[in-house]
Amino acid sequence: MERKQSRSRSAEQPPIPLTARVLSFFLDWSIWGYIAYGTVYLLNHYWYVAYIDWYGRLTLPWWGWPVVVIATFELALLSHSFGHSLGMRAMGLMPAAEGLDRPALRKRRLRHFLASHISIMPLGIGVWASPSEPWHERLSGLRLVRLPQREEWITPPPRWYRTEWGIMTLAILGLTVTLGWHVTGIHLRVLIAGAARPARLWQGLTHPDFTFLIYSDPWLNDSIVGALIESIFMALLATIFGAGIAFVLSFFGARNIMAGSLPGLIVYGLTRGVFNIFRSIESILWALIFAVWVGWGPFAGTLALFIHTIAALGKLYSEQTEHIDPGPLEAIAATGGSRIEVIRYGVVPQIVPPFLAFTLYRWDINVRMATVVALVGGGGIGRLFFYYKDQLDWAKVGAIIVAIGLVVWLLDYISGRVREKIV
Amino acid sequence: MNWIASLAPRFAAAGRRLSIPLADLLVLAYLWAIGTCFTSFILYGEEAYLLVPWWVMALAVVEGAALWESFGVSLGMRLFGRWLSREDDSSPSLGQRLGYWLSWHLSLPLFPLSFLDHEGQTVAERLTGTVLREPPADAPRGRWYRTSSGWAILLILFLTSGAAFGITKVNLSALIKGAPKTAKFWRSLASPDTSILTLGLKLLLETFFMAMMATVFAVVIAGPVSFLAARNLMRGPLARPVYFVVRAISSLTRSVDAIIWAIIFAVWVGMGSFCGALALWIHSIADLIKLYSEQLESIDPGPLEAVAAAGASRLEVIRYGIIPQIINPYLSFTLYRWDINVRMATVIGVVGGGGIGWRLAAHLRSWQFPEASMLTILVVALVWAIDYVSARLRAKLA
Amino acid sequence: MPHLAIDHLTKIYERGKVLALDDVSFSVDKGEFLVLIGLSGSGKSTLLRCINRLIEPTSGRVFLDGTELTALPQRELRRWRRKIGMIFQQFNLVKRSTVLANVLAGRLGYVPTARTLLGRFPREDLERARRALERVGLLEKMFVRADQLSGGQQQRVGIARALMQEPELLLADEPVSALDPATSHSILKYLEQMNRQDGVTVLCALHFLSLARRYGTRIIALKGGRIVFEGSPSEIDDAKFKEIYGEEAEQVEVR
Repeated sequence: MERKQSRSRSAEQPPIPLTARVLSFFLDWSIWGYIAYGTVYLLNHYWYVAYIDWYGRLTLPWWGWPVVVIATFELALLSHSFGHSLGMRAMGLMPAAEGLDRPALRKRRLRHFLASHISIMPLGIGVWASPSEPWHERLSGLRLVRLPQREEWITPPPRWYRTEWGIMTLAILGLTVTLGWHVTGIHLRVLIAGAARPARLWQGLTHPDFTFLIYSDPWLNDSIVGALIESIFMALLATIFGAGIAFVLSFFGARNIMAGSLPGLIVYGLTRGVFNIFRSIESILWALIFAVWVGWGPFAGTLALFIHTIAALGKLYSEQTEHIDPGPLEAIAATGGSRIEVIRYGVVPQIVPPFLAFTLYRWDINVRMATVVALVGGGGIGRLFFYYKDQLDWAKVGAIIVAIGLVVWLLDYISGRVREKIV
Repeated sequence: MNWIASLAPRFAAAGRRLSIPLADLLVLAYLWAIGTCFTSFILYGEEAYLLVPWWVMALAVVEGAALWESFGVSLGMRLFGRWLSREDDSSPSLGQRLGYWLSWHLSLPLFPLSFLDHEGQTVAERLTGTVLREPPADAPRGRWYRTSSGWAILLILFLTSGAAFGITKVNLSALIKGAPKTAKFWRSLASPDTSILTLGLKLLLETFFMAMMATVFAVVIAGPVSFLAARNLMRGPLARPVYFVVRAISSLTRSVDAIIWAIIFAVWVGMGSFCGALALWIHSIADLIKLYSEQLESIDPGPLEAVAAAGASRLEVIRYGIIPQIINPYLSFTLYRWDINVRMATVIGVVGGGGIGWRLAAHLRSWQFPEASMLTILVVALVWAIDYVSARLRAKLA
Repeated sequence: MPHLAIDHLTKIYERGKVLALDDVSFSVDKGEFLVLIGLSGSGKSTLLRCINRLIEPTSGRVFLDGTELTALPQRELRRWRRKIGMIFQQFNLVKRSTVLANVLAGRLGYVPTARTLLGRFPREDLERARRALERVGLLEKMFVRADQLSGGQQQRVGIARALMQEPELLLADEPVSALDPATSHSILKYLEQMNRQDGVTVLCALHFLSLARRYGTRIIALKGGRIVFEGSPSEIDDAKFKEIYGEEAEQVEVR
């Protein structure tokens, strides 16, 4: 191990925190759990080995679960003892192997593996008891150390795809793609064979019918341009009011402003939590909820976009506020400014340009979303789209897609140019 | 050859002259239309864009623009940084302004004449001895609320939001009256139906894999294609058209939402997660091409020069000059897109794209709120987790 | 036969119709340290880039050891370019790559493309990189990302990259104008060392006359793309200086 021997100028290292150790092990364990799941899934896909019920749940015999848990645990221990595992790499750790020849190292690794059973197996007692140097490390002499910084390297480390963790990453990626291929039911044959199926669709989409571009369709009492205007204004209203409310709320979600008192921190946590939860629910789902609440129509769609805008912009704004330069704030506080004055004269001037840029960016997204919220009763151009789609009138659908594409692209282009000017 | 080159600044000067009245006409026409919409909404309770004959409106807009530009500093003039002054930078007299207003009407039809002038002066400027030029640095600048443009912008904002209320049919009483209807929904959020937890998890996994597959295969396509969409790499008579075609296709594809793509693919390959993955895939390709190529356009050209000077071949210049500069941003954008794809995957099922969205929308539509709330909680958990992971990894890559 | 001969070189930039080089001719012997001076925009950078054809000249010819570089096809040109090292005003390092990767890029003209695309440089090239970095005193920083270095250190990496080419001719495009005076001297000393010890012919564009006097064996001054002075450093007096730099210029001493 000439190579490993002098890989870095090792310096005095502070002890590795307990959380890093524990997390790195649990990461390895869950990776093996994922591999086990994937393997069983794939095995089952080709040869029916385990019973999967109607809901797609994997059912194992009573002894099956303990076997899986213990087996993955053992595998995690193995990968922890016999190499540089992905879990260690993710936590920025590596096994120290300085000044050892190959047989000695192998012996130590075996000892490390065996000792881990005494140290980790019984509820990790050996780790809790001595966090800075757990029992299995003390018994085997194989320590965990921090990854050396680039400045400390003497020879380059092996290329990432030749390390244990690199191979593991590739394996997981490969497994995920294979698994995803089956889980999402990808059939290239269907894609190719089905290409002719939507012949009428292609026929219609490539020969768009602009009859109702300006004149209203008597059935819907709306035209493409009229509905597009409706969509744009839905987005506009949602953006303007959403941005206004997000602006006010964002200060409650900025750590540097709210820190200092316990109630402040609680408000901060709550605001951020609400932002995150509301943001995670897409506008379309909000539209479903508001369609129940205020009835079908553009108002429901506007409200849906509005709620999602508040949450999304609120988060972006808060993060921006957290990154401001504290100097001016100090200066204003030093002249005896109140908390509100500090915000007005110290914070606001710094955040206005990025806030405007974010708002324009959000406006783009809202225009695009406004075209689809109609699906669940939101009004706007989407209402026409889904009406014609249900009528299988693909030529009119094609016209709408062209119109949407052009308008969204145009607004995107304009807002992009304006954003360039602002930032 | 020389006179062709000398045309370029003429075109620029004349183009700027033309842009000012066009911008003003556009602004005034918009103000008129939106004002009409607003008034009709207030008066009659329905939207209309024309209350007076169209020629009255057209006349008012044209005259308004002429007067605005002659007697004040119009929004267009502000946008393009020009104002009306005499040759010696002093303010024109009232008579000159009046003359400018009268001859303004001539200058649009006679606009081509201004190409003859090397500064692009229009007929109106010539006749009245004024010139549209950049204001001197020491020109007095009023606060925004004391300028006509400031008021125009304020009016636009006010009328637009007013009209928007009408167009989007805002109905606050419905918002308040309808609230009890959703009480059941909020209550069930606190008591989710845990019996569909495992089914939900399975659907969640499917959703996750949809996003994963879409992202992975989008990178495979968008990575190489992004080089064709980078302005700085695509120079020359053959490459430029390719650049424009790739850019146009990808930006049009991008502006059509993934949900609309899902509808098209639902006809093509049938409903299910394959359809959803395909829709996300198409949209991701277009989006990633844009993000990637913008990154390529902002690379530092210095290293390319240095590597070429050392005798590197074209491929080596890409490998050693470009790739090291873009690899981290590319990965970071991919993670960002992955995050978005997971979000989109949770709703693409609404139109038959498979995954958890299908089930969730069905429950919501049929008012089965305990089931819906269980699935909502799962969606929030997944999106939250992916958002966190993606943000952490991106912070590492920066 | 001179080492490098420039014959009636002219460059007109298409966009904007700027005449950057106007009928420039001179020759350089082996082992010279030739300094190009002149104001910014006088054509120094264009001239240097026309020699290794990073910029294609509009007309005129460039000879290196009797071979006409301006007539070579691309493939041949790349073979000749590896004899010509180049260092830049803005260092032109790949900021995200390690110092080692930047230095190894100097060998790209020697190693077959199929190998370099996989990132597999021969072992002797790694050794050579180590020696080059040792020579510029940056062995410690071998695996550090280039953007972590100071300006002077980055330029030393640039020199190491040029050393990897084992050049016969070194083109230096204002190598010190982004650096402070003290660092400037340390960088130019490396160039002087290459010139004296390895016999590398150096063509160096400089901004300051004092530096040109200190390091150059011969000076060529450009103004508006034309040669306005050619001779030894001691020949530049106040009148000449005014002619090169314009009436208002003051001599600035860089120590």
